[in-house]
Amino acid sequence: MLNSRFIFLVLGLLLIVEGVFMLLSAGIAALYNEYDLPYHLLSSAICIGVGGTLAFVFFKAPKDIGKREGYLIVTLVWFVFSLFGLFPFYLSGAIPSYTDAFFETISGFTTTGSSILNDIEALPHGLLFWRSLIQWLGGMGIIVLSLAILPVLGVGGMQMFVAEVPGPIPDKLHPRIKETAKRLYGIYVLFTIIEAVLLYFGGMTPFDAICHSFTTMATGGYSTKQASVAYFASPFIQYVMIFFMFLAGANFTLSFSALRGRFSKVIKDEEFQSYFGIVAIVSIIVGGVLFYTKGADGLEQSMREGLFQVVSIITTTGYATADYLLWAPFLSIIIFLLMFFGGSAGSTGGGIKIVRVVLLMKNSYYELKRLVHPNAVIPVRYNTRAVGQGIITNVLAFIVIYMMIVGISMIIMSIMGFDLDTSLGAVATSIGNIGPGLGDVGPASNFYNIPNFGKWFLSILMLIGRLEVFTVILLFSPYFWKE
Amino acid sequence: MRIFIAGAGEVGTHLAKMFCNANHDVILMDEDEEKLKQVDSHFDLMTIVGTISSIEDLKEANVKSCDLFIAVPPYQDMSILACILAKQLGAKTTVARVNNHEYLLEENKLFFKKLGIDELIYPEVLGAKEVKASLKQVGTRQMFEFTGSKLVMFALKVRDNALIVGKTLAEISAMYEKQEYNIVAINRDGETIIPRGQEVLMHNDLIYVITTKPAVKQVMLDAGKKQFEIKNVMILGGSRIGKKVAQGLEGHYNIKMIEIDKDKAVRLADQLSHTLVINGDGRNLELLKDEGIKKMDAFVAVTGNSEVNILACQLAKKMGVKKTVAEVENIDYIDLAENIGIGTLINKKLSAASHIYRYTMRATVSHVKCLIATDAEVLELIAQPGSKISKGPLRKLNLPKDVNVGGIIRGESAIIATGDTEIEPNDKVVLFALPSGIAKMEKMFS
Repeated sequence: MLNSRFIFLVLGLLLIVEGVFMLLSAGIAALYNEYDLPYHLLSSAICIGVGGTLAFVFFKAPKDIGKREGYLIVTLVWFVFSLFGLFPFYLSGAIPSYTDAFFETISGFTTTGSSILNDIEALPHGLLFWRSLIQWLGGMGIIVLSLAILPVLGVGGMQMFVAEVPGPIPDKLHPRIKETAKRLYGIYVLFTIIEAVLLYFGGMTPFDAICHSFTTMATGGYSTKQASVAYFASPFIQYVMIFFMFLAGANFTLSFSALRGRFSKVIKDEEFQSYFGIVAIVSIIVGGVLFYTKGADGLEQSMREGLFQVVSIITTTGYATADYLLWAPFLSIIIFLLMFFGGSAGSTGGGIKIVRVVLLMKNSYYELKRLVHPNAVIPVRYNTRAVGQGIITNVLAFIVIYMMIVGISMIIMSIMGFDLDTSLGAVATSIGNIGPGLGDVGPASNFYNIPNFGKWFLSILMLIGRLEVFTVILLFSPYFWKE
Repeated sequence: MRIFIAGAGEVGTHLAKMFCNANHDVILMDEDEEKLKQVDSHFDLMTIVGTISSIEDLKEANVKSCDLFIAVPPYQDMSILACILAKQLGAKTTVARVNNHEYLLEENKLFFKKLGIDELIYPEVLGAKEVKASLKQVGTRQMFEFTGSKLVMFALKVRDNALIVGKTLAEISAMYEKQEYNIVAINRDGETIIPRGQEVLMHNDLIYVITTKPAVKQVMLDAGKKQFEIKNVMILGGSRIGKKVAQGLEGHYNIKMIEIDKDKAVRLADQLSHTLVINGDGRNLELLKDEGIKKMDAFVAVTGNSEVNILACQLAKKMGVKKTVAEVENIDYIDLAENIGIGTLINKKLSAASHIYRYTMRATVSHVKCLIATDAEVLELIAQPGSKISKGPLRKLNLPKDVNVGGIIRGESAIIATGDTEIEPNDKVVLFALPSGIAKMEKMFS
């Protein structure tokens, strides 16, 4: 039997947390004295009211939960957060369609950053802030946040932590899950503050600085401007964002080591090496080709444009300072392939994750060796340790399922009448939590014209991608529901 | 408190789980990833794959921040080495598991201290001690003495023939002018109950009683336990515990030991001069009969196999042996064994755990005992001057529901606690606590 009472209790408590965060954006609305203030307060009241009732009714729920409850809680929390998080957009009339509001919200929470808004700047500050804040919350994770602040999740917390934090092998920073969560959020907050300050000095308004800082650290990609980061022409701002996107796409455990002065650990980390290597090489290629094809922009600008787009896509942020669809086909395809890589394990990025790609490559390479020496024992080494066969199988299964979902989803998109580019781009960007896709959903356009069914479908893909496939897919497997 | 456990064997894993439940920060290190996985998915602790005698691995695991380092790998050499390294790397207190009795001698303590090992534990010796204690007090399941033997706590099973069955605790204490003993906990069908005055004792309850030494006889009488003296003891299995028990009991009792392995039996016969060592299979009823099992007063099954121990004790019970003791290492079997009425159960892991447990407590704790068949603990706490517990009679203090105060040792005298008892500073208070209550009580005492 599933411990459903506990699930309701957790949902209730987390809704209260969401309601409290809504008060923050209400504060911003009050500050700017705009029309959306009552809607923030109303949404917050709904969250706290419903959450409070659930928490009160199920307060005495038994606290023992197993793996199944863990997975269910994580998926439900993300879904329910989006359902309630859309109220400020919907109630205020800024996004009149319920479907659109849901799409915008889940795209926020999952740090995808695909938008249906045709005129972002028309939104009042409070809503723009909420739009950035939900990305920030989704970036490090709702469950991780609740582990840090709610004692009730102590039991079984590890289950949920594993289900939410990206990567095949979760790292702990402290023996206790609660302390680990606190430290992760500590670094997250610290980086966010530093970036906001730097952006402010780079010439952004404090409001834009905070909002962009939220969405950079979350690798989300929502901007407060219709033209995305291209609006800010300052190279300094762009470099700051490149740096922090890169940081957000790296493993936060490594950032923690670096902050403690253990740089050797960072440099020796295989995933970080690969991440750094891929970004460096691809950026140079892209920047070089850009300089070669439209040399008029100057070397620095070409390189910066290349670097920004590469980092933005590989970390699954999705900001744009240029439209890569207008680049040479060679470059668009490279950018498209980067969509599948994603950030590092333990980062806020989406996608398949560098570590899985590294393990896949290594295993494939060794497979060739194994063909020649059928009896040889050739373990896949990662960070100087042999990786267990279980993890390799898991990684392979992950990638296969990921690709299968991409394939099937493309077919579904094409049935709705989209061409190959658009179908492929929309699916890859949604499951990879990136933002811009290809074709009709490229960096210069948005998702407004997708039919309602398509929006719901892509929303689910985003959730599948954010929770790393297994957590969500598991709920659809008969094994999960069998006693 | 940050506790580092090196070695995820039986004792290591058990300690890790226990400390984890007691809200400590636990790091568990072992070379075998599979062993760690088992624990990792169910408990909130950090597991690290590494070699416990490798300086690099220990450094990597940040051993210098640990308050307590417990080395329980399969080999004692490794355990000693790991402790020395850990101490050098900055661990505050180190505990090593050994299996050589010489190391435990008082005269060698300083030597190990110099090496950087603060405490040595030898679970088999602790297990043997428990066997001996239980043979001394027949009728009980478990017995434990507190400071200066003034108070004792023991567990016994009450059956229909007991005077006190069917009465409430209030009625039982009304039987005496002065409170003679306190029933601090009841284990009924595997569930531990902290009883209040209205609780009725039932057939087959396992009760935990705290009392003074002189009153033990009275308790036995009330519980319907006949006293008999033990003369003949049969030990099944020449394991380390078996050998230690035989060594401790030789001369006082007539001992027969059954060992299945021929070479081992020969060796044991050489080492145990007053014990009759028999080479044979203890599961063979004919052999047991030949060796006069019917005349035995006590049967101690301490082979390395928990199943064999349980079954052999059942067999011995059937043959009329009154007191049986079984070593049950598989913790999941303990409940089962308890229910089918195998007298005393001993478990090396729990013995070792009790021993180590006190290192994790604050200074107010002078004694801890982990109990078999329940996850509760018996603690002896010292009331600090000005602490909350010493402010007024117990019934007015709003004690947590998961704790029961049994008795008090004040200077040379022992007092059995009632609701009117007032605790004075520096009293040693013996209490029974469920895990949830331990931290609360520690606070009340400091």
